[in-house]
Amino acid sequence: MTKPKQLLEDNVGKKVLLLANESIARGVLEAGVRLVALYPGTPSSEIGDNLTFMAPHIPNFYFEFSTNEKVAMEVAGAAAVAGVRSMMVCKGPGLNVAADPFFSLAYVGIRGAMVIVVADDPSMWSSQNENDSRYYALMGNMPLVEPSDPAEAKSMLLEAYEISEKLELPILFRTTTRVNHTRSPVTFGPIRDRPKTIEFVKEPFRFVPIPSVARVRHPWLLKQMELAMEISESTKLNFITGSGSLGIITSGVSYNYVVEALSTLDIDAETLKLGMTHPVPEKMISKFLKRHKQVVIVEELDPFLETHARRIAQLNEIKVDILGKEQGFFPRILEYNPRIVIEALSKILNRNTSINWKAIDQKASEISGLPPRPPLLCAGCPHRATYYAIRVATRGKAIYPSDIGCYTLSIAPPLETADILFDMGSSVTTACGLAEVTDQDIVATIGDSTFFAAGLPGIANAVYNQHRISLVILDNRTTAMTGHQPHPGTGVTGMQEKVPPLNIAKVCKGLGVEYVKTINPFASLADLVAAVREMTTWTRENHKPSVLVSIAPCALLEAAERRKTGKVPQPYYVDSELCNSCKRCLNRLSCPAMYLDTKTGQAVIDQTMCNYCGTCVAVCPQGAIKQEDA
Amino acid sequence: MKSNTVNIVISGVGGQGVLTLAEILAKAALSDSHNVRVGEIHGMAQRGGHVVCTVRIGAGARGPIVDPGTADLLVGFEPVETLREAHMIREDGCVLLSSHIQYPVAVSMGKASYPPNKEIIDGIRKFTNHILEFDAMVMAKEAGSSRALNMIMLGAIIGTGLTPITEKAAIDAVRNTFSKKFESINIKAVKMGRKKVENLNR
Repeated sequence: MTKPKQLLEDNVGKKVLLLANESIARGVLEAGVRLVALYPGTPSSEIGDNLTFMAPHIPNFYFEFSTNEKVAMEVAGAAAVAGVRSMMVCKGPGLNVAADPFFSLAYVGIRGAMVIVVADDPSMWSSQNENDSRYYALMGNMPLVEPSDPAEAKSMLLEAYEISEKLELPILFRTTTRVNHTRSPVTFGPIRDRPKTIEFVKEPFRFVPIPSVARVRHPWLLKQMELAMEISESTKLNFITGSGSLGIITSGVSYNYVVEALSTLDIDAETLKLGMTHPVPEKMISKFLKRHKQVVIVEELDPFLETHARRIAQLNEIKVDILGKEQGFFPRILEYNPRIVIEALSKILNRNTSINWKAIDQKASEISGLPPRPPLLCAGCPHRATYYAIRVATRGKAIYPSDIGCYTLSIAPPLETADILFDMGSSVTTACGLAEVTDQDIVATIGDSTFFAAGLPGIANAVYNQHRISLVILDNRTTAMTGHQPHPGTGVTGMQEKVPPLNIAKVCKGLGVEYVKTINPFASLADLVAAVREMTTWTRENHKPSVLVSIAPCALLEAAERRKTGKVPQPYYVDSELCNSCKRCLNRLSCPAMYLDTKTGQAVIDQTMCNYCGTCVAVCPQGAIKQEDA
Repeated sequence: MKSNTVNIVISGVGGQGVLTLAEILAKAALSDSHNVRVGEIHGMAQRGGHVVCTVRIGAGARGPIVDPGTADLLVGFEPVETLREAHMIREDGCVLLSSHIQYPVAVSMGKASYPPNKEIIDGIRKFTNHILEFDAMVMAKEAGSSRALNMIMLGAIIGTGLTPITEKAAIDAVRNTFSKKFESINIKAVKMGRKKVENLNR
């Protein structure tokens, strides 16, 4: 929520409180990056959120919300090939989407400089896996840099561009949620100019990796990685701090926990903090291992540095106890915290922890049976109405392939309309697969942004191969889950320019879908139910895909609009004379703005939370939910 | 953690303004030249679900995470969500508890029950006896808007005197962050929260 305007200030030495994502957005300015392309994904989203508002004010700068991560990688990759500094940003699973160009980019290399920011999500706060993207660097032969906090997110970004330029290779810049979403003081540096345009100098036998070219480029890449190793040995990104008989090797956010754990336990140790984690500085690590009898490796997720340390010890015949995940001192899952490091070090050094956590855990376990409060669709969310209608129309008996977005929350009771999900766009394609091997009706749902990101090939597949699937497109006019970024259907670009939006219904017709209808989910719930029923019937009879586009803006956008204009609709209320306590509204809609008054047994609408969608009015069989007269 | 660091855990429901409060606290701390770290959770975790934020002030703060049993101050926006994080508080730590209930959907659907107030207080007492309870929602409405609930809590935090943050720095941070439109409501709410806690502590 730091204002993007503040990130534009040409005020060297100013200290501001920034999220690492904001710090990276500022770094774009200080590194003289000419082009940034990305598809939003938490925990990386705020990088784009800030850049899009900064972009119109930065001379010679281009920013776009690309349609997906593969597109973003190619847009940014080409700019760097041409010779400018570029950036691509994605969340962990986004790098999987962009993996194809990622590997090619390493082979052909670049003439400018390029940083690929990938935000991994240990603990899966908002992701479908906790993949460790560091292995991409290993597999693709790309240098890897990992900051540990918001200050390093900027300083190491600037260094990454220097390294990229030297090596003619993109740099993988890996963050984790606890780096991206930590806020701490960051000091502004000078802003660097960007070129207006440059000439693309042709060099097809470098940049078109046909087999004969690729065979030459692979040894080139391996040679560049040898140079990268030399940089890794001497860069200030890899440094040693402290002294003591115990050795610790760490990187990323875990470094903070190591520093805090050593301070809490009052232990002396020599810590090797690696900022450049591929290629690792083998000589530096080798010397470090030789100096210690015991070396503890502290890193989240997979034993990446640990495996390197064991390999280096074996190659150099070093006798040292390397202690990490392999012996069970550290977990391979979820985020770390100071406690995990304190407990592991206490175990290794055979001493007590600073705090009796066992006693705390015991007391905490005595507090059980608290009502759960998982995330859920907001009050007034248009998806609630659409899913309610899908459930009613299909009596809960169809298969409901889901996709990536807020609407995946429909997995929870009572909507229960998410049955299968792999990745972005898989609603359409899993529906295709299921349609061929079952007799059940299939109603898939996909959001508007996901539709443009990854839905189109699946729809072409469904049309051409004549899969009998019903697809409801939940068009809430934004990329809601990641913080309301625009997409090709919204009519706003990353540069904040107004452009003609792509029309989802027309796109579907253009792809050959014969049955395409559009509906407003708040107009009439009965009509919405009828529309879903009609499309499933049509699909069954025609053995072809059908599309229903359900369009209503995200409730959070509506609420923000109301705050801006000050125009508030008349409140909804439950007429206690008419309410017969059937609880249908509570049990079928699960709207967070409604609760049960335990004294009266009747439903109540919480006026502070209601978003005025009025869906509950149609759900009440008694007509007891009403809107106050103006 | 080290005694030169104040650890604050803020627990509430997505949409209540937990993140905003954390940011204001940190801005105020920085403006008074304190080292500060904020740990936030964004994205799916925010959609009406349980939200926890951490603010750490002081030279010893490196990472954003507060371990169980190390929070000096637990700021609870909602009773059950306060109890859910009670294990975070240190033995002599202070708990600010807004008594206004926001029912989870599972309770509305009759699939879970909301614990009575006594059970919540007894649960927190397993960890600390220093509990300051008040209805921040009633106070926020009195200040002018239910959305000022987090500003009541901001004032309450200052009122405990457990952080180095001054009311002036906090109010300046509020002024610099929000639009002028809600400024008087927000500042009124901060002052109400502070006075409330000072009176409760007396």
